[in-house]
Amino acid sequence: MNTQMTNTTGTGETLIEMIKVSKAYPPDIVALENISVSIATGEMFFLIGMSGAGKTTLLKLLCSMETPSKGLIEIGGNPIQQMKGHKLAKLRQKIGVAYQDFKLLTDRTTSENIAISMEVSYKKPQLIRKRVRELLEQLDLSDKHDSITGELSRGEQQRVTLARAIANSPTIILVDEPTGNLDATTTEKVMKLLTKSNKAGATIVIATHDDSIYRDTSHRVMELRKGQMYSIAGGASL
Amino acid sequence: MSFWFTVLRQVGRNLRQTWPSQLMTLLTVSLSVLIFAFFYLVYSNMLNFGDKLGDDLSLIVYMEDEPGPELQQQLRRKITTFDEVEEIRFVSREDAYNRFATQLGENLDVLNDMPKDFLPPSIEVIPLKNLRSLNQVKLFSAYLAKLPGTLKVQYGQDWVERFYYFTRLLSIIVLLSGTLLILTTIFMVAYTIRLTILGRQAELELLKLVGATNNYIRTPFLLEGLLQGVLGSSLGITSLYILFQWIKLRFSGPGFLNLFEFSFFSPLVCITIIGVSILLCTIGSYSTMQKFLRI
Ligand SMILES: Nc1ncnc2c1ncn2[C@@H]1O[C@H](COP(=O)(O)OP(=O)(O)OP(=O)(O)O)[C@@H](O)[C@H]1O
Ligand SMILES: [Mg+2]
Repeated sequence: MNTQMTNTTGTGETLIEMIKVSKAYPPDIVALENISVSIATGEMFFLIGMSGAGKTTLLKLLCSMETPSKGLIEIGGNPIQQMKGHKLAKLRQKIGVAYQDFKLLTDRTTSENIAISMEVSYKKPQLIRKRVRELLEQLDLSDKHDSITGELSRGEQQRVTLARAIANSPTIILVDEPTGNLDATTTEKVMKLLTKSNKAGATIVIATHDDSIYRDTSHRVMELRKGQMYSIAGGASL
Repeated sequence: MSFWFTVLRQVGRNLRQTWPSQLMTLLTVSLSVLIFAFFYLVYSNMLNFGDKLGDDLSLIVYMEDEPGPELQQQLRRKITTFDEVEEIRFVSREDAYNRFATQLGENLDVLNDMPKDFLPPSIEVIPLKNLRSLNQVKLFSAYLAKLPGTLKVQYGQDWVERFYYFTRLLSIIVLLSGTLLILTTIFMVAYTIRLTILGRQAELELLKLVGATNNYIRTPFLLEGLLQGVLGSSLGITSLYILFQWIKLRFSGPGFLNLFEFSFFSPLVCITIIGVSILLCTIGSYSTMQKFLRI
C-alpha cells in the first residue's frame, strides 16, 4: 500500500479501512463507486474533487450517517455498518464531524453549540467551559461566546462547527469544506488548529476544493471524480 | 455527577420550552388523581361502614326439629362448605323460649298459656364481617334454605340488598374513574412529551450524530414524565385531603355524618396511589419516546 510512502505523520497502523465501497442514492444516483482506501492512525488526509464528486457522501459513510450500498467499512478493525445503540454512540463520540451544512442549533449560543459534543460524554462543566473558551480564542471568536449562532455570519458559523467537531478531542476528525467561507488569514488559523489536533494524535480527513490548503502539503491527497477515487502522489507535487 | 447535571439542565430546558402544556398535563393528572381518589375514599369508607352494619348481620335458619349432636356436626360442616363464618349457634326450642321470655320482661304472663316448645328451634349463622360475605348474603340464605329440615331463613333482607347495590354502584364508579385516571394520565403525558420531542427534532438528531447514548436522550424525557407523576398525584391527594378536612370540619357536630366515622387513606394507600400515577406517567413518556425518537 502506498500509505506508508506518502504519509508523514501517521504511525502506519490502519485506522480507517474502506473496502470496495459503493453508495447509490435512490433512484439511481451513484455517488461512490468501488472505493477502497485505508487511512492510518494519525494521518492527515485530503479528499478533493469537484462539486458533486461524492466527498460529503464519503464522510457521511465514515461517521455512519449513511450506510454503504456495497462494501465494507472498518474503523479500528470493527465493521461499522452493523453498529447500533450504545456501541454506535460510543463510536460517534470518538469521531468529530464538521458538517458542510454546519448543523448548528441556530437558537442556541455559540458556547452551547460547542459544548454539546462534550456534554454527551459527560465531561465536567468546568472542563467544558475552559475548553470552549480556548477554542473560541484560537478561532478568533472570543467575542461571540454568547451570541446566538443563527445570527452569525457564514464564516463564523463554519468555525463554530469546526470547534464543536474538535472540542471533545476525538480520535478521528472529519471536516467537510472547512474554509469555504473564509478569508486567507482565517483559513490559516483554521488549518493551524487542525494541524495542532493532528499533532496531538487525531486522524483527520479533510474534504475540500480549496487548493490553497492542500497545495503545499506533504500529506496524502486523493481525488474523487464521478464517484471514483484517484490517488494524487503527494500534494506538494501539484 | 455530570450526568445528572446535564440531564437536569435538559429537563429545565424542556420545561421552559413547553411549560403551558406541561402545566395543563399537571392539572389533568392531578384532577384525574383527585377524582379517582375521591370515589375510592368514599368506597373504602363504605366498606368500613359495611363492617359496622355487619355486626348486626346474622342469618336465622328456622328448623322443623331440634337437631341431635350428630346432625349438628353435619349441619355445621354443610354450612362451612359454602363459606367460612364467624359463628354458628344452635338455638333449641327451650333457649328460644327463654330468650323470648327475657325479651318480654314484665309482660311475661302472656306466655302463661303457651306450651314451652311453641317456638321453633333455629340455627344462627353469623357471617364473617367483611363486605364479601355481606354481598353474597342472598346466595348464602338460598343455600341455607336448602339444608335438610329448614323451615325458612331470615335476615335483614331489605337493607342488605340496598347496601349491596349501593356498594356495587360505587365499585363501578371507582373502576370507571380508575380507568379514566389511567387513560388521561398516559395520554396527556404522552402528548406533552410528543410536543417537546417534535419541538426539538433538530437538536435530537444532532445529539445522535455527536454520539449521545440513548440514555442521554431518554432520561430527561423519562424524568419529565416522572416529575409529572410525582407532582400531579401529590397535588391530587393533597387537595383531596384538604377537601376531606373541610367537609369534616363543616359537618362536625350533631348531624347525619356523625353517625359514621370517616377516615382518610392510610399512608400506605396514599403512597400506592402516588406510585401508580408515577408509573403511569413514566409509561406514557416511555411509549412516546419509543414512537418518536426512533432509537
Ligand atoms: N441524500 C441524497 N439523495 C440523493 N442524492 C444525493 C444525496 N446526497 C448526495 N447526493 C448526490 O450524490 C452525489 C455526490 O454528492 P456529495 O454531496 O457527496 O458531493 P460533494 O463532493 O460533497 O459535493 P460538494 O463539493 O458540492 O459538496 C451528487 O450527485 C448528489 O446530487
Ligand atoms: Mg460536499
